[in-house]
Amino acid sequence: MIRTEEMLLNVGPQHPSTHGVFRIVLKIDGETIIEANPVIGYLHRGTEKLAENLQYTQIIPYTDRMDYLAAMTNNYVICHAVETMMNIEIPERADYLRVLVMELGRVASHLVWFGTYLLDIGAMSPFLYAFREREAIIGFLNEISGARLTFNYMRIGGVKWDAPEGWIEKVRDFVPYMREQLAGYHDLVTGNEIFLNRVKGVGYYSKEEALDYSLSGANLRCTGIAWDLRKDEPYSLYDRFTFNVPAFDSGDAWARYQCRMAEIEESLKIIEQAVEQFPESGEVLAKVPKIIKPPKGEAFVRIESPRGEIGCYIASEGKKEPYRLKFRRPSFYNLQILPKLLVGENISNLITILGGIDIVLGEVDG
Amino acid sequence: MKGLAKGLKYTLSNLTKQNVTTQYPDVPLQMPDRFRGIQKFYPEKCIVCNQCANICPTDCIQLTGNPHPDPGKKGKIIDTYDINFEICILCDLCTEVCPTEAIVMTNNFELAEYSRDELFKDLVWLDENDNNVRKENKA
Amino acid sequence: MVNDLLTSPPGWMHAAIFFGLGACLLMIVLGFVTYAILAERKVLGFMQLRPGPNRVGGRFGLLQTVADVLKLLIKEDTIPKAADKPLFILAPVLAFAPAFMVLAAIPFSDHLKFSDLSIGLLYYIAISGITTVGILMAGWASNNKYSLLGGMRSAAQMISYEIPLVISVVGVIMFSGSLNLTEIVEGQKTVAYMFLSPLGFIVFLISSIAELNRTPFDLPEAESELVAGYHVEYSGFRWAFFMLTEYVYLFAMAALTTVLFLGGWNPVPFLGFIPGIIWFALKFSLIVFFMIWVRGTMPRLRADQLMEFAWKVLLPVALLNIFVSAVVKELFLR
Ligand code: SF4
Ligand code: SF4
Repeated sequence: MIRTEEMLLNVGPQHPSTHGVFRIVLKIDGETIIEANPVIGYLHRGTEKLAENLQYTQIIPYTDRMDYLAAMTNNYVICHAVETMMNIEIPERADYLRVLVMELGRVASHLVWFGTYLLDIGAMSPFLYAFREREAIIGFLNEISGARLTFNYMRIGGVKWDAPEGWIEKVRDFVPYMREQLAGYHDLVTGNEIFLNRVKGVGYYSKEEALDYSLSGANLRCTGIAWDLRKDEPYSLYDRFTFNVPAFDSGDAWARYQCRMAEIEESLKIIEQAVEQFPESGEVLAKVPKIIKPPKGEAFVRIESPRGEIGCYIASEGKKEPYRLKFRRPSFYNLQILPKLLVGENISNLITILGGIDIVLGEVDG
Repeated sequence: MKGLAKGLKYTLSNLTKQNVTTQYPDVPLQMPDRFRGIQKFYPEKCIVCNQCANICPTDCIQLTGNPHPDPGKKGKIIDTYDINFEICILCDLCTEVCPTEAIVMTNNFELAEYSRDELFKDLVWLDENDNNVRKENKA
Repeated sequence: MVNDLLTSPPGWMHAAIFFGLGACLLMIVLGFVTYAILAERKVLGFMQLRPGPNRVGGRFGLLQTVADVLKLLIKEDTIPKAADKPLFILAPVLAFAPAFMVLAAIPFSDHLKFSDLSIGLLYYIAISGITTVGILMAGWASNNKYSLLGGMRSAAQMISYEIPLVISVVGVIMFSGSLNLTEIVEGQKTVAYMFLSPLGFIVFLISSIAELNRTPFDLPEAESELVAGYHVEYSGFRWAFFMLTEYVYLFAMAALTTVLFLGGWNPVPFLGFIPGIIWFALKFSLIVFFMIWVRGTMPRLRADQLMEFAWKVLLPVALLNIFVSAVVKELFLR
């Protein structure tokens, strides 16, 4: 008689493909996963609690560290929340700059995802190609904000710096260049049969499941629900641009891949239009009081980050510091479906599925 | 098969392309002017208003001041000024609030040290850190 | 000279000479490994728009691998407490020894060969199978779950791919009518077998990449899944032995492909004035470059797809190849 035994396999927190310090305890039978228990919290820094003792301006640099791949959207969500509470009118130029940096950030974030996802699947080169373009974007953001990842660029009422001379032109020239490179990525990866075999039909979930698990971003759009807050609840200036919300309905890792690649193109469209409409001159910071004290009350705003819906809830008692601050961090919610998806898959698929969700541990753990 | 061939073609065509890497640290990395690096401090400009220490989100600035030695003048002069770079996040807020631009950013980013103690920079060190000072400090 | 040695009766003198020659070959192989690793890193680097190793040994990093090996030599040799000690120590040896043994059968040129086995091809395939045992042993003895999975995967993979590998060369054996590698090369005087049995060549190339555990078939050590697969727990020089095995096999497999399908040391028509050994080296380098190139491009297959591919695609194609080869032989080689 052959006796088989289940085995407990601990993946992470130090593992090349858990994208940081994610840990998952697997019960496996051979290579088949019977049960998966994610363990999170290795990167918990208590951003929300810390914020209760910080002035609103001081919270902004902390948000940079949540989703460190697309910090601009995090900057924006907190500023947007405070501005909504205080009814601050943002100068047009500042708003355009915000849109530009957010969309650049989105492209950069998706590029990192693209590269690391392919690295997970075993192809090494796409990572380096993607980082070449990302480096260019990081360069732009560095030029305008003074940091490569932790921008701390937005302020309540606008942005800290105006665009440096020639910056807008550089961004304009970047768009066609990026399109060309994107075509190269499609040559290298999208048609690759091995890649297709790895992602097609892997990690499938249905529309209903996606909604039940409160998924957002590409993880939701891959099931065919074209829900994008930029389109459906336009904030900032997004109602001024024409762009599509790519949605694919196969609900698997392949749809998520297509979705993100298509989103890069849509972001480029937005960047192109924003550069075109960019006002000649103007203020970049509204007149705001030196000490920011939102009135008593509460507000919740949500925007579309590269990973999904990021929300910010503020309860204010009219003081310099918030009474309570809460971020709806999309990676955290998107991750919840993982244990369900993993049951019955093998270990190679674990990597494909986990990578496809696109988590950033800084955001999951908060 | 076609997809594989396309991919092979793409990598082959990149074989002869120019490298995109930089030869850091052989060639120093030039950061754009706005880059936020280690601060430079001008003791003579500081009026000991404490604003920088108050705004700092990580509480990493410690400063003390003495009364002005010239009894005719009001105000204070700086005595000690320390920034703890173990926790400074180079967020730019201190330089943003300083009314006299006594604390400004430089473009130097090389903070690696062999000991944690060395990350504790004092007034003298910060004063001497005067190359690559950022040209434009206020938006 | 070698031919004389091979035909003369055995004796102590001969043993010593052969030992010396073997040591020479080992040195050459080690030299190759050193520069194959460098070449791999350089070519990958260039493909990925970066310079690759460029600090130790001048602009081209010529001494990088030497430095790496030196580092491995002086590293602490750790053996996990829960490991099966004798097996753990034996595994790298068992993996490496066959890798070097197979080289004995390969003729590098008309005069440069170390043996002239009449069943050279069979010898190669049989001996190289032993490495699987070494790898499985390493995976088991480490007492680490990742290495166990890696070891299992590699055993399954190597066994499945050995079959199409062997069957794909049946065509070649039919053409040459011999298992002797020298005779196989001699048979390719006019036309290389890669043109006569292109199907066999493709199947052989793919299975050989799988046998070598290289991307896209690098599942046993799948960096992103199993961390490093069967050699997770190895460090220092034991680990170096596994690396060495891998690259010596790369050497052997590229040489075998050259011999079987690319015509060995036979020159391309009209360029006969270039010595055979150089032709061999050129063809050989081409194969090595191809393997590196594939590594720079492809993602990794999944374990179940890998098996399916071997049994459902490669094997039938290899069988078909036998049939096609027979027809070709009847029609053109009469
Ligand atoms: S840069 Fe930020 S963290 Fe550093 S000292 Fe200034 S205010 Fe504090
Ligand atoms: S804000 Fe400027 S002037 Fe005031 S204490 Fe700080 S460095 Fe001195």
